[in-house]
Parts: sequence; C-alpha cells; structure tokens
Amino acid sequence: MSATYLVVDDSRLHHQMYDLIFSRPALAGSRVLHAYDGRDGYAQFAAHPDLAMVFLDLNMPVMTGLEFLDLRRRDARHLHIPVVLVTTESSADDESRGMAAGAWAYLRKPFHPAQLESLAARASQASEPVRTA
Amino acid sequence: MTAPDHPFAALLADYVAECLPLAEDVLERSLALERAWAGGEEAADLYGPLQGLLHTIKGNSAMMGLRPAQELAHALEDLAESLATGPARRRDGVEVLVRGTGLLADLVRSAAIGDSPDSAHYLEELRRFLDQTVDLPAEPARVERRGGDRREDADRMVTTVRVESHRLDALLEALGETMIAQAGLRDAVKRVTRGRRGTPEESGLDQAVLALGRTLQQLEQDLMETRLLPIATVFGRFTRLVRDLARGEGKEVRLEAAGGDTRLDKTVIDRMGEPLVHLVTNAIIHGIEPPEQRVELGKPAEAVITLRAAQRGDRVVLTVSDDGRGLDPAKLLHKARALGHAPASGTPALEEIYGFAFLPGLSTAERVSSLSGRGVGLDVVGLSIRSLGGQVSVTSEPGRGTTFTLRLPLTVAVLRSLLVEVDKERYAVPLADIAETLRMGPDVLRQAITQGTLIWRDQVIPVIDASHVLGLEVPWGVPACPEAPTKGRRYCVVLKAATHHRGLLVDSLLGHQEVVVKALDPTLGRPETIAATTILGDGRVACILDAAGIADGAIEARGCG
Repeated sequence: MSATYLVVDDSRLHHQMYDLIFSRPALAGSRVLHAYDGRDGYAQFAAHPDLAMVFLDLNMPVMTGLEFLDLRRRDARHLHIPVVLVTTESSADDESRGMAAGAWAYLRKPFHPAQLESLAARASQASEPVRTA
Repeated sequence: MTAPDHPFAALLADYVAECLPLAEDVLERSLALERAWAGGEEAADLYGPLQGLLHTIKGNSAMMGLRPAQELAHALEDLAESLATGPARRRDGVEVLVRGTGLLADLVRSAAIGDSPDSAHYLEELRRFLDQTVDLPAEPARVERRGGDRREDADRMVTTVRVESHRLDALLEALGETMIAQAGLRDAVKRVTRGRRGTPEESGLDQAVLALGRTLQQLEQDLMETRLLPIATVFGRFTRLVRDLARGEGKEVRLEAAGGDTRLDKTVIDRMGEPLVHLVTNAIIHGIEPPEQRVELGKPAEAVITLRAAQRGDRVVLTVSDDGRGLDPAKLLHKARALGHAPASGTPALEEIYGFAFLPGLSTAERVSSLSGRGVGLDVVGLSIRSLGGQVSVTSEPGRGTTFTLRLPLTVAVLRSLLVEVDKERYAVPLADIAETLRMGPDVLRQAITQGTLIWRDQVIPVIDASHVLGLEVPWGVPACPEAPTKGRRYCVVLKAATHHRGLLVDSLLGHQEVVVKALDPTLGRPETIAATTILGDGRVACILDAAGIADGAIEARGCG
C-alpha cells in the first residue's frame, strides 16, 4: 500500500529534495503533496486524514510551523497524523517549543535521506503516534 | 563542490537558482547597513532580514553538502549578530561583512560550475575579528587544579590552541565510554577474585583497576576544565531580545549583566539559553508594568532586568531579577488549591507558595503574547533546569520585583548518584537531590504505605511508592490499603526540593556510583519522572530519576479506594 506524505516548506529546493528522497527504493511509490506556506499546508493537512506523515518547516510566510501545530492541536480530528519538524542546529528553542506543541519528532538539517526513511518506517510501525498533544 | 554521489547532487542548478537571489539580497543589505552606520543611523530593520536570509542559505548549503558556503553563511550570521549588538566596532566590521557577503554570492554562483573561490583565508580573518570582539578577561581565569605545582612552568607561557567544539564533545563521549568500561572491569575483577582475597594476583589486579580509575578521574577533571566557556556568550543574546520585546510590549526596559566571565560547561551553556529566554520574556511581558503605571507607583519609568552569575563551589548560581510588580502569593495559592496541588486549609510558608509557580498549569500568565512562547510556563523552565541537574527557585516582593535563582552544575556529563533497585530494575538518583536514606521497620513501612506519610526529623513528609512514579505495577494491588502485603520495599530515599521533602519507597540501595549521563532521545518527549539514562558497568541501561520533579509532585499519590 502506498503512503501519502505532506511536505510544508517555502523553499522550492527543499521540495525537490523531498521528491528525490521519496523516489529512492525505500519509499518508492509514495505519494507526495506539496505546500509552500503554513496556511496552504494546513488546508491540505485537514483535507487528507489518511496522511502517513507531515514534514513541516518552521520559518514560513503567511503561517509558521509553530502556528500550524497550534491549529492542529485545537482540532483533535487530526492528532493521529505524526508531524516531523524540519529544523536547523541554531533553532533549538523552536525544537522544544514544537515538541511541546505536539510534534512527533524533529529532523535537523542537514539530514541524510536515510534519516528521513527511518523516521517514516518508525511511524508506520507504531500502532499509534508516540506523542499526540 | 558537492560530491557526485551526494544524494542531492542532481539539484545543484536548482540550489543556485534559489540561493543566488538570496545571496545578492544579503550583499545589498550589507551595503545599505554600511551607508546607514556611516551616517550614524541604527538601521535595526535591516539586520533582522539579513540574519534570516543568511540562515536560509546556510541550511540549503548544508543540505547540498556545500561546506564552504555553509560555514561562511554561519560565520557571517555571527558577525552580523555581533555588529548589531556591539556598535563599538561597526566601522571596521561592516567592511568585513560586505566583503564576506560578496564572497558568499560568488561561492553560491560557482556551486554548479565547480570553480569555487577560496574562502578559508577570509574565514580565518573573520574569526580573528570575532575573537577580538568578545569581551573576555585579559588573563585566563586561574582554575585550581589537583597537584598544581607541576603545571607552574606551563602556566607561565600559556599558548592557545583553537579546537572545534565537536572534537571536545567526541573526547567527552569517548571518556564516558571508557569510564563505563572501567566500572565493568572493576565488577568483573571483583567476581573473578572472589574467594582469593589477599593473593598477589588479586591485589595486583585490584591496584591496576584502582589506578585506572584515578587516571580517568584526573582526565575527566582536565577535560571538564577545557570545556568551560564564559557565560557572557549566553548573556550576549539578551541585549537585543530585551530591546525588541520591550518595544513590542510598549515598555521601557534596561538589561544589566554581571559576572559574565563566570565559566560553565559548554553543554550547560548550550542548554540553559532557552530557559533563560523564558524567564526574561516572562519578566518583560508579565512582571514589568507599563511605564505610566510605574511612574504612578513612584518607580522610574525604565525598568531594569538584571542577569547575574557567580561560582559557588561546584555550582554556578545565576539570578534573573526584575523590579516589576512581583508575584501575588494569594493568587498562586488559590490556583494551586484549584488544581489540587495544595491542601484546601492552612497556609503554607511563603517560599513554598512561590515554589508552586513551577507546577504545571500554574504560571499566572493569562494573556498570550506573540513572543512569549505561547503556552510555555514556568514548569517547563523547571524541567529544563532539572534535566541539567540544576535547581530553580523564586522569591518575590509584591510591588518590588521578582528574582529567579538557578543553581547549575559546572558540568553535566558525569553525575554522582545513588543506585537503587525497584522490582529488580536499577535506577540512579542524583546525590544532590537526596536528603537522607532510611531503612524502614515493618511498622513505619506500613504507615508509609497506608497513610502515604512518614515522620522524618520531627516533621510529617509525604511518601510515594517508586512504582507510582515509574508507571510499574503496584506490588500490593490497590495502593494504600491496610492489609496489602509490602513486597520488596525496605528503604526510603528522602528527596529534597527547594522548599520541602518527599520520601520514595524502594527495595534496596546498591551504593554510590558516578554515572555517565546519556540524554533521552527527543522523540520520547519529556517523561515527568525520568531525567536521562545511563549505562552501568555490566552494560545494563538504567534510568536517572528526575528527583526534584518527583519531590515536587509530578505524580500525585493515589489514595485508597
């Protein structure tokens, strides 16, 4: 069964990187939805209750990653979808805020495709998300 | 140049397409800053976006495996920050900035072609510039060392070597593994030589293991001293935060810092930044009154937040004070009662009431500000400080201000702890959090289990079974029922929090041990009662209990019934 992933990031380059990662053998056949700001991301997130995982950038125009998580937390219908924060080494404050706001894990840039693959595999094995709210 | 087998090598042209306009924007903004600063303007609106752009370029370059661009963008972020907060060297610094941003644009542009300009020389120059900017004491602080005499000659001609911090981390990691192996060796020698006490083989082995232990301790101390950094590196972040935040809140706040040359382990420095940000943010948003109100109250319109650091023995004491409205004890007590953290009758001591501020859901902040890190209360600050092996407390004078006191260990890598056993599992309890350990007679134990209390040094303290805290099955079925058996439990560890004590029932005490702290995987979240893990000498993993969290009542005792 192919899984659907949502990527929310304002960088086109990052979307292309995700496309490359999702075309590698480990995740081949996955469907990837793209959003370029938090608000569009949240609209797609809410419309796809079958998402396997969301990869969420923090600094985005219109709506930030933390605001995205805030919205998600208020609407209990979507808490089962694990959200992975994509961060950098200098945003440790945001990481803990994001984790406290219900993110499932965070992935620090630069990351290797294998790290993302292992996160995706771990999420699909868990019968329920490790953390919800 | 990205290696051909790099996973994203195919995206080089896309990298240039996205990052080159950003790099050119950075260059233009640096030129604008140069003009503005030459004309004596502050131009604060220019460097915020500049930092953001550099940050994006750094992240993208890192993902592409383009190290020179990544390092240059990172160094330029540091430079821009340093110039923004320290106007004194702007005239020289902005020239360095403009040259660097030009070089960055060249690096990005050439990424797809491969003929990259050299950035190593520039980086070296930039780092030299930054080093001179940091206000350090001219003489390196003398640290008392064991057996100091032999170092006198070396001290007379101090030479400095620059070491990347990840190498120090790797050394510490390796030392930790070695200490674990030594503990394993010690245990194995004990087993092998059992029954052969006093033989030459036994004493030879024994002495060799002891000597190894002593050398490792010396090595640990020397490495720890190498890792100490001045706390000024953290304080530096706050000048701008305070200014921006105060402006946004319509308040007038001045930041004063003292003791910036106090030194702490790099890990502590890295991890205390966030709790400090919360405390300072809270002070500005909730503690300090608007200027007009302050004038009415007879205070100066401009409020003062003071950060102060000093070393006391093997701890560093850090205080964050403001001269704002102070905490309201009546309100705190009311909320603590509403949440069931305080008994409905009787008035606890004032310091105990202030201690309630660190319980979950108790921070009195009612208004959510865009900058206050929404929903993050003082309980999270308490948790972060405790996960570093530190303690935090607060005192306040209504109308006069609030002072938070953080006591931090100089180092976090090695923890002196008491090993205890609960239902055949081993746990480490930090020694700093233990007031006393007690062996319990059957009657005392029965009372502890049925009443949940213990009389200790003429006071009644609450007692909790380790199984509640750790989510294990309760050995006597329904807790706190009189006829339940008391399987296994024989000892009580009295834990101390800032203002009170709490007993923890365990099966046995296995002795003191220095354990090497391994942080919890962040994907596990933050359990309320486990601070970290460690590996014991026999290779088993043990949890390190968050003793202060348990003493503060992270898990409430359940009654009979």
